Amino acid sequence: MQKYEKLEKIGEGTYGTVFKAKNRETLEIVALKRVRLDDDDEGVPSSALREICLLKELKHKNIVRLYDVLHSDKKLTLVFEHCDQDLKKYFDSLNGEIDMDVVKSFMYQLLRGLAFCHSHNVLHRDLKPQNLLINKNGELKLADFGLARAFGIPVKCYSAEVVTLWYRPPDVLFGAKLYTTSIDMWSAGCIFAEMANAGRPLFPGSDVEDQLKRIFKLLGTPTEETWPKFTHLPDYKPFPIYHPSMSFAQVVPKLNSKGRDLLQRLLVCNPAQRLEAEDAMAHSYFSDLNLKPQQ
Amino acid sequence: MAGNFWQSSHYQQWVLDKQDLVRERQYDLGILSDEEYQKIFIFFSNLIQTLGEQLKLRQQVIATATVYFKRFYARNSLKCIDPLLLAPTCVFLASKVEEFGVISNSRLISICQTVVKNKFSYAYSQEFPYRSTHILECEFYLLENLDCCLIVYQPYRPLLQLLADIGHEDQLLALAWRVVNDSLRTDVCLLYPPYQIAIGCLQIACVVLQKDLKAWFAELNVDIEKIQEIVRYVCSLFELWKTYDEKKDIQALLNKMPKPKTQPSR
Repeated sequence: MQKYEKLEKIGEGTYGTVFKAKNRETLEIVALKRVRLDDDDEGVPSSALREICLLKELKHKNIVRLYDVLHSDKKLTLVFEHCDQDLKKYFDSLNGEIDMDVVKSFMYQLLRGLAFCHSHNVLHRDLKPQNLLINKNGELKLADFGLARAFGIPVKCYSAEVVTLWYRPPDVLFGAKLYTTSIDMWSAGCIFAEMANAGRPLFPGSDVEDQLKRIFKLLGTPTEETWPKFTHLPDYKPFPIYHPSMSFAQVVPKLNSKGRDLLQRLLVCNPAQRLEAEDAMAHSYFSDLNLKPQQ
Repeated sequence: MAGNFWQSSHYQQWVLDKQDLVRERQYDLGILSDEEYQKIFIFFSNLIQTLGEQLKLRQQVIATATVYFKRFYARNSLKCIDPLLLAPTCVFLASKVEEFGVISNSRLISICQTVVKNKFSYAYSQEFPYRSTHILECEFYLLENLDCCLIVYQPYRPLLQLLADIGHEDQLLALAWRVVNDSLRTDVCLLYPPYQIAIGCLQIACVVLQKDLKAWFAELNVDIEKIQEIVRYVCSLFELWKTYDEKKDIQALLNKMPKPKTQPSR
């Protein structure tokens, strides 16, 4: 631990406090995530273990790098690449205005990171602006894989309640137990809309019912035709038949028509019809994308 | 993490070289013969298997725990940590990584106590000496020595794919699966990629069941040399088993084994 000089507290992660720190030898700035070991019975928390083992396998420019894992007097510290801020803080600094080219670049990088995770059979499961890190070069990186899991090995069911309500898809809200990559694609759609509105969340629901109501009011309540068998989901509750009262041009007024088309293909209630990350990257919205070389 | 073995930490860091293995074991092999060393590892693989079964873990979890155990001692002498402590620690860590769900540490300890007393009394006359704090401390040490490479690829999945290609052969699958389990008592999981191990084990199963799949094997695009090496490792294990009586011999071997200086108070 002498290798690093703690500079300041950055925040609280899923399983511990995050500090900004400096490597005393290389002067490199890093983020230190201290893992709390409060439950004597569990040892190293499984969420921390999941993050460690997945990041050990996933190395990509749009995924935060795990440099090192330190053990000292019964504490575990994960050493991450440091990014200047997260997307949430970035929004807060905007004062309601965002450059639409930045939105496009961030969205593309988000999809590229997701495509990589998904091609390695890893679901993130907890995408939200706080988990997307941004550095000075305008690079975006997926972070906080505490809830992520590899889905290669079939298990009976994945634990429910994994995504922060606002970014949770309707199938999960209805208690679907078998998650697929589509869970992350819905969250990506919500974040896309939030970016296009300079940080105004799309569906800021207060509880599960309010969350679903907000979704259906915008997209229309699903029917047996648009989403076969959705009434069979474990926590299904009937909702009034809402008809979309607002066009996407009103929802995301700054976003161009191609962007709106992409958004609508991500925000599909039926998970089977949600766009995959690879396909989303190939969408014509990105045809005039200009990424800086390092992005 | 399926399907990306070639980019995995398993492939990049943990397919070891035979020469390295010999060098790392130099100290222990100054005290134990090759065969005695192997017998000790067979014993602890059996212990891990029994613990896993008592905890109702899937074979995948048990196999991962066994590989952790072997990886640790591929880099350390037996005197670094008592294998009787490391074995349950590997089970503990593997069950979390494989998302079996966390085993409570107190339950693990009580199962260790029961298993050592009821099933391995021929090896240990005293009761299981370790407590939760030992396991938790050991977990750190294990994590560090594995360099946090926790995702282990096993031969089971490639084996299922090979069998799917051959066609429904339940008897063949069942036997090959058991040979894969047996292969955990050799060094092959440290030396070869899991798909090669699957092919090697399948070949052995074919010979035992007198199934002629030569033409099918010939179609596989694999390094036959490597497959033969794997087959030799597993067959020499079977040879050893023919004459070896663990119940009779293990206590003397455990006494001879290099040990940590400090033992917990019993």
